[in-house]
This record gives sequence, structure tokens and C-alpha cells, in this order.
Amino acid sequence: MSKTIIEMKGIVKSFYIGTPNELEILHGLNISVPEGQFVSIVGASGSGKSTLMNIVGALDRQTAGHYSLDGIDITKISDNELSSIRNKKIGFVFQTFNLIARTSALKNVELPMLYAGMPSRERTKRARELLELVEMTERSGHMPNELSGGQKQRVAIARAMANDPAIILADEPTGALDSKTGRLVMDIFHKLHKEQGKTIVLITHNPELAEETDRVITLSDGSIVSDRMLKGGAAE
Amino acid sequence: MNLFENIKMAFASLKSNKMRAVLTMLGIIIGISSIIMITTLGNILRKSLTDTLNSQGGSKLVAFQISLKPEYVRDYYMTEDLITEDMIENVAERFAEDIEEIVISGGYESGKVRYRREDLDVYINGVNPGYIARTSDEIIAGRYINDSDLARGANVCVISEKQAKKLYGGVKEAIGQRFSAKFLGQNHEFTVIGVYETKMTALMSAMNSLNTTAEDWDTEVYVPYRALTKIYGGSEEAFFAYYAIVNDGVDPTSFCEEVQSYMNNRWYRDNDSIMIRYMTGESEMAMMDQVMGIVSMVIAIIAGISLIVGGIGVMNIMLVSVTERTREIGVRKALGAPNSAIRSQFIIESIIICLIGGFIGIILGILLGNIAGVVIGTVAPPSTGAMVLAVSFSMAIGIFFGYYPANRAAKLDPIEALRYE
Repeated sequence: MSKTIIEMKGIVKSFYIGTPNELEILHGLNISVPEGQFVSIVGASGSGKSTLMNIVGALDRQTAGHYSLDGIDITKISDNELSSIRNKKIGFVFQTFNLIARTSALKNVELPMLYAGMPSRERTKRARELLELVEMTERSGHMPNELSGGQKQRVAIARAMANDPAIILADEPTGALDSKTGRLVMDIFHKLHKEQGKTIVLITHNPELAEETDRVITLSDGSIVSDRMLKGGAAE
Repeated sequence: MNLFENIKMAFASLKSNKMRAVLTMLGIIIGISSIIMITTLGNILRKSLTDTLNSQGGSKLVAFQISLKPEYVRDYYMTEDLITEDMIENVAERFAEDIEEIVISGGYESGKVRYRREDLDVYINGVNPGYIARTSDEIIAGRYINDSDLARGANVCVISEKQAKKLYGGVKEAIGQRFSAKFLGQNHEFTVIGVYETKMTALMSAMNSLNTTAEDWDTEVYVPYRALTKIYGGSEEAFFAYYAIVNDGVDPTSFCEEVQSYMNNRWYRDNDSIMIRYMTGESEMAMMDQVMGIVSMVIAIIAGISLIVGGIGVMNIMLVSVTERTREIGVRKALGAPNSAIRSQFIIESIIICLIGGFIGIILGILLGNIAGVVIGTVAPPSTGAMVLAVSFSMAIGIFFGYYPANRAAKLDPIEALRYE
């Protein structure tokens, strides 16, 4: 029986707490994701997707409810502990790639390992392996502005994998790419899922991409309106 | 996240904005270089002044002069207050073991020498035979004024090499010639008995180079002081001051103390306003140090202001940099950078700006100081203390003015930062 990676119970997120404008965005979500699942979260803009992603990604704390990630209760921990959890347990992939400018692909991939305190030689070795995994070896010395969008995203995925995180959290990873390169990026996610058994959370507003995954959670107005398991969801 | 990585990152970031980095450093560069320049210059001046003083008796040269008593009742001198020849002779005998030479200059007149169609400036210096010891002069032909010249008040003179060449066509040719100078409204004639050459120290030649006529002309002409007294129409000699050069191994200060109290007890006890005070080469040096100290202080204040302004510039640019890189900071935080890592990244960047500025400032300061030194003619190393101080000060500026922007970066909310366009 595989273990549970994401365990969310009654997650509430409010803004402007204590002011007349107090605004509840998430209304008590319950989500449980087992290890190795490729799950997509869909919803129109304003549905609370991003807010949920921030909480899942340990960038933000919920107002109420309970969240544990890979067995660690992250309900009430310090900022620095949150940093450490982001560093070791979560691999972010952003819509706009967010590679560090003027820093080579290799150095970008090394960055999370640098913050984890890995020695330089080991870091470089692992970064090279990861770039090979996303077929970017020959571009490892290139600066982000010398890479195409698809290439940037592949480097970003390699970077997300750096500390072998419990989950990969991808926020509209194909949103800034044309359909062909978007396809390529999705294939890499599928590969990571299949070959390495990675738990992947894909946030998207594209229903077609969501249909490729194991499970689709649909958000609307801060509540889960559907949570479907898909048979053989992974398309090749 | 180690220091080395931070330093590499800081350099990468500075390299991407070279112009801005240099402009930011400018304030630090100016501040540090002026501190280093003034200390280097101070060392140079000190060294060349020491050289010059040493060539003219140095720390062995001491002076005794009349000055006001603390409880004086009049603030002017009278003839009876002056130091007489007898007093000097008495001291010379009493302290014969300690004294190498007594140096007297009794009268100094500016005059003109006719050369072809122009009048050349000369200064007629009435001296005793010992006087040459307190100058940088050497006799290259003939002889210096001797005791018999002085005793007779002979109308003889010692002129410079340049004067000899110009007026008589050569050094040897000058000996025995008549030297005519107009001063005190009349022409006076002297027989040239010797020619001197000034052994210039670096400082002296520098000072001389400011004087355009010095190229082929010296102004100083030496005559026995009694020759001047005769011209003045007086009979008795009296002086405001005289010098002594002490023997090797004699402590100038304790010698001066003894002579001062001897003279005061013997001749000035009953004087209501005037006493003898001494000055040593060391006290001249101390005075010079005091002046340099004041100059240094003023420059240090200006440099300090420049450094503060420079530091504010650094802070300003770091704030801009933090704003510009908000998104990068967000990404770094998402990737797991703790606040401390972000903070140290920016502080180190700020320290590095200041340190590079500091180093450039040190090099520039040494360079400028030594360019001035070349003009003066002496090159001296900068003071190590000033360099250490400059480096630590620029580092402190980096930390002080970098902390606020760095802390602001560290405290950014990762979500806001990631969303920042």
C-alpha cells in the first residue's frame, strides 16, 4: 500500500483577516494524494487554484485546517522550516519558467542543491544527470536568454527534480508554450511519472491536459466540485 | 549556502551591470583614495623634511631665541634684551664639550646686483664661520668666511656657483673678483673669497623648481656679519637668536634645557619681560606633525562625508537592485532559499561593491600621493595602518548600508515576489 504524500483536511484560506473586507477564498478543502499519483487541478481563473497551489507548495499557510506533506505536519512551522520543506520536498515548475537570469542552465539546476548545502562536486554531477534526463546536456552552459521556451521549461523541470522532491508542483507549465513544445514538456512529466514514480500535481485550466493525468480535481469558487479518477489517463 | 558561492554570485551580478557598479563605487573610491593620498603625502612630506633638516644639522641643530616671559609687562623688544656676542662666547666656552659649532646669522639684507642690463636679486646674509654647517652648502672653490674675516669685519663674500658662472664666467675665475651689490641705498663692494654649491635635497629642489629664476641664479650671498654691522654703523653685535650644533652623543633636549636655564639665570633673571627659549629640530618636526595632523583631520572629515554619501549611493543602488530582482528573489525562495541566504547574498554584494571601491581607492590614493611625491622628489610607501583602516571601513560601509536593502529582500513574501512583474 503506497503512502499518502498530500493530506489536506478542511483547508480554509482567508485574506484581510479581521478587516471588513475579509475574504474567504478556499472553503474547507479535503484532498488526499497518494505517492506516485499524477493529479491535475483544474478550474477557471478566480476559482482558488493559485491559492491552493501556494498552500500545497508551502509558499503560504492555510488559515484553518490541517495539511501534512510527506508525513510532515506543516500547519504551524516557522518560515525557515517552510523554506527547507520547499527546498527538499517540492519541485516547482512555473508557467514563466523563472530561471535565474545570467546564470547557466547547469547553475540553475544546481541552485536548489546549493541551498540544501550539497557539496559542489556532487551538485554538478547530479545537475548533469538531470539535464541529461530532460535531454538538455549540450545546452548546460547556456544562459536562459540563449534558450527557447521549451528548453527553458526542460531546464526548469530538471531544477525541480534537483533534490528528489516528494512532489513536483507544476503551475500551467505549458501555458507559455506553443502546442508542440507544450506536448514535449508534458511528455517529460509523463516520463518522470512512469519511470521514476514521481508524484506530480499539475495545475492547469486546459481540460485536455488534465485528461492525460490519473486524476482530475475541479475547483470552482474555492470548493471542489468534482474529483474524478481516470482509467489509463496517461496518454502517450 | 557558503560564502564562496555568495561571492561568485555577487560578482556575476555586478558584471551584468558594470557601469552601474562603477558609478556606485565612485563615492567610496573618492573617499578612500583621498584618505590614502593624504596619508601617503604626509609620509612623503615627513620624509623629505627629515632629509632636509638632516642636511642642515638635523636633530643636532638647536636654536636659542629671545621670547616673552609668561608674566611679561611689555610685548616689544629693546636693545638690552638681545643676545650679545659675549653671551654666546660665554655659552660656547661653558658648554664647549657639548657644542660642535655655534651658528650665527646677524643681519639679512635684500639687494640688487647689476648684470648687463638687469638687476638680479640677492640676499646678503651676515654670518659667522660656523654658519655653513646649518646649510646644505659645500665650498667648491676658495674658502668660507673664517674667524679673522669675522673679527676684522672684512668686506669679503662667498657666492654661489651659479652667481660665479653668470657674473665671472666660472667658479675659479670668481675668486678675488670684486662683487658689488646695492643695498640699503648704496653700492657696497666685497671681495669674493669662496664659491659654494648647494647640495639639494629632494624637497629643496622641488621648492626651487617653483622659483623660475633659480634656474641660473641663486640669491644667497654670505658675508661676515661684522661687515654688515659696519655698514649699519653700529659697533656692538646683538642678536635675536643663535644656533648651536651639538656634538654626537649629546642629547639635544637636555643640552637645550641646561643652556636655557644657564642663560636665563645669568642674564635674564631681572628682565621684566624677556627670556631665552630653545627650539630643537625635533620640536620643528613636532610642529610639522601638528600641522599635518590638522590637514589630515580636515581631509579625513571630507573623506568621511564622501564615504557616507558613497554609502548612501550603495544603499540606493542595492534597493534598486532588490526591486529589480524581486522575481528572482521569489524564485530563490520557492526553491528553498532561507531568508538568511537571501540576506547574505545582498549584503555580500554590497560589501563587494564597497571593497572593490576601497581597493581601487587605495591604489588611486597611492598613485596620486606618489605623483605628488615625484613632484616633491621623494617617494614613500603609504601607511599600512591607513590601508587596513580603509579596507575595514569600506567593508563596514558595505555591511551598514547593505543591511537594510538586504533585509528588505529577505523579508519579501515569496508569493508576492513571484507574482511581481
